[in-house]
Parts: sequence; structure tokens; C-alpha cells
Amino acid sequence: MTILKTTTTLLKCFCLLHQVHVHLYEFTQTRGESMLPTLSAQNDFVHVLKHKKLIHTVGGPRGLRIGDCIVLMKPHDSSQRVCKRITGLPGDIIEVDPSYDNDFDNSFIRVPKGHVWVTGDNLSYSLDSRSYSVVPMGLIIGKVVAANDFNKKWYQRDSITNKINFLGYRKIDNNYTDCK
Amino acid sequence: MFSRATIRPFLLAITWIPVLMTAREFVHVSQIKGKSMRPTLNPNDNSTDWVLVKLFRPRHRERNDIILFRAPSDPNVIYCKRIKGLSNDALYLDHKDMVANNKSQLTLVPNGHLWVEGDNTHSVDSRSFGPISDGLVLGKVLCVIWPPERWGTNLNRWVGRDILAPDTDAESN
Repeated sequence: MTILKTTTTLLKCFCLLHQVHVHLYEFTQTRGESMLPTLSAQNDFVHVLKHKKLIHTVGGPRGLRIGDCIVLMKPHDSSQRVCKRITGLPGDIIEVDPSYDNDFDNSFIRVPKGHVWVTGDNLSYSLDSRSYSVVPMGLIIGKVVAANDFNKKWYQRDSITNKINFLGYRKIDNNYTDCK
Repeated sequence: MFSRATIRPFLLAITWIPVLMTAREFVHVSQIKGKSMRPTLNPNDNSTDWVLVKLFRPRHRERNDIILFRAPSDPNVIYCKRIKGLSNDALYLDHKDMVANNKSQLTLVPNGHLWVEGDNTHSVDSRSFGPISDGLVLGKVLCVIWPPERWGTNLNRWVGRDILAPDTDAESN
């Protein structure tokens, strides 16, 4: 009887954890150079919020906005996940690659309904919407809100604010400003 | 007012909710709305079909499987269509008569994408929004479970139009 009770309790705990992991929150490692100033190339762990309202709606106080850092599945390989920043919402007109100098090579596209335009922060070393075009919002897995950098010491005193910072924790803000 | 003995079963029931939600990730019952999969699903207007869906992500997909996936135009809408082409397949977009007259165009499904079509000609599918990414797929329809007179329906009796181009064409393309 006690074995049965322990098993059911373990099962319930495991399922609860699994549900939180699937629907609410995830803590995962990121790799790669594409988000370099924001996230380091290795040993960087991100806190991802995965609630449906956060990632499948646009605008509003909680939905997707320009400048949000998101985790999404690669459109051409659903087993791989990438971390990018939203730079275009449905209805926006996007210049595909502003780094071209002449106007002839440039093309502008309008992001269709239910799609987003994503780019990495390290534009010169990032495979993103400039090569695979717009991404459907159904591929978005979660929104990155904070990160822990395990390259740093496990605690560090900030020289400016004089606060102790554990495990390189920092918030990843939406620092987008509209310069109208 | 609420004695300990009355609250306890409710609390016990609540602890089982995550287990049920996890079980729902393997198989799930879902209602089919609309007539885009006619005549396979929802054959008439009198009743709607409830189907058993395997949500657990299968790694391999096959042609003529009926799948549920998130609509590319709206992530909160879920479509039910039939896979007509896997990645790197060459497909005819138009009818066979056009093909015979060399008027049809071949299209190549990109890597990691699927070409989905409804069995009904009047359906919003890859013919309007193009191939869908494999990551949008939620699950595969296994069988019809409601209404009871449609138990044991063969879902592959009518598989839509035949659009797969022969391999020789795919290579020359």
C-alpha cells in the first residue's frame, strides 16, 4: 500500500513539473553566436516563459511586441530551436537587408497575418528571417525574460550599484524605442 | 461549514489534474468542424465527427496521413488536413488534364515542410498558403469515435487528388 502511495505521489509530482515545463516556464541552455551581445555563445542559460497568451497574441500588455527576445523552432528543421529578436510584426513593411548599399538589391516585404520577422542581435553571424523569410507565430516556443551567465563567477559585486549579482543573472529587456 | 472530510476528496481530485493533462498529450479527442475534409470527415451536415488524435509527435510522417496543425495565419486556429507531399517532393499544382497538356507547374516542397490539402476541393490549404513548416504539426488523426454509426471508418478510402510527380520529373526539375 505504501509503495502504491509513493508511486502515485511521484507520478503526480512528475506530471505537475512536466505541465509547468510545457505550458509555463523553461530554463534552458543557449548556444551559438547569433545573439552575441545579449547572450554569450556558450554556457548561457535563459529563463523562458511559455504561456499561450504571451506568445500567440500580438500587442497588448502581454502579447508579442517588437524587440521581444523569443525562442522558436527553425522553420526548416523543427527539431532545432533558435533564439532571436522580433523585428517585425504582422502588417509591418520590412526592408529585407538594410546592409545593402544600393537601392536596387533591396526588397521590401509586408509581414503577413500571423507571421513575425525575426533577426539575431549579431547581424553579421545570424541565420534568420533575412534568409528564411517570415516565420509563422505557431513556431514560437516562448519569450526570453532573463538569463544566467555561467561563464562568470557564481557571485559578483557590481561596481556601480554595489549589489551582489548571483550567477551572472540579468534581465533581458525589450529595449526597443520608436524614434518617430 | 466545510468539514475536513468534504474538502479532502476535492483536493485529491485536484492533484490528479496534471496527470490527466499529461495523458492528454498522448491521445486527445477533438471535434472536426467545417466541410474541408468531406467526404472523409463530416460527410453530411447532420452531424459533426469527433476523432481520436495522436498528439505525441511522430518523428516520421507519411503521405495521406490526416494531421492537425496550427494555421500559419493564426496560431490559435487549428486546421485538419491531409498530407499530400513530404519535404523535397515535387508536386503538380493543377489538375491532371493540365499536366497532360504541359500547362501545369511543378512545385517543390522545401526541406522540413509539408504540403497539406483538404479532401474537399473547396478548402483553405497549401494551395492558398503554401507549404507549412513541420513544427506547426500538432498530431495525427487515428480514427473516428463519434457518432457511433461511423465507427471503423476507413480514413484512406478517398485520399484526394493525385498530385505527386514521378521521380524523374523531380530530378529534371
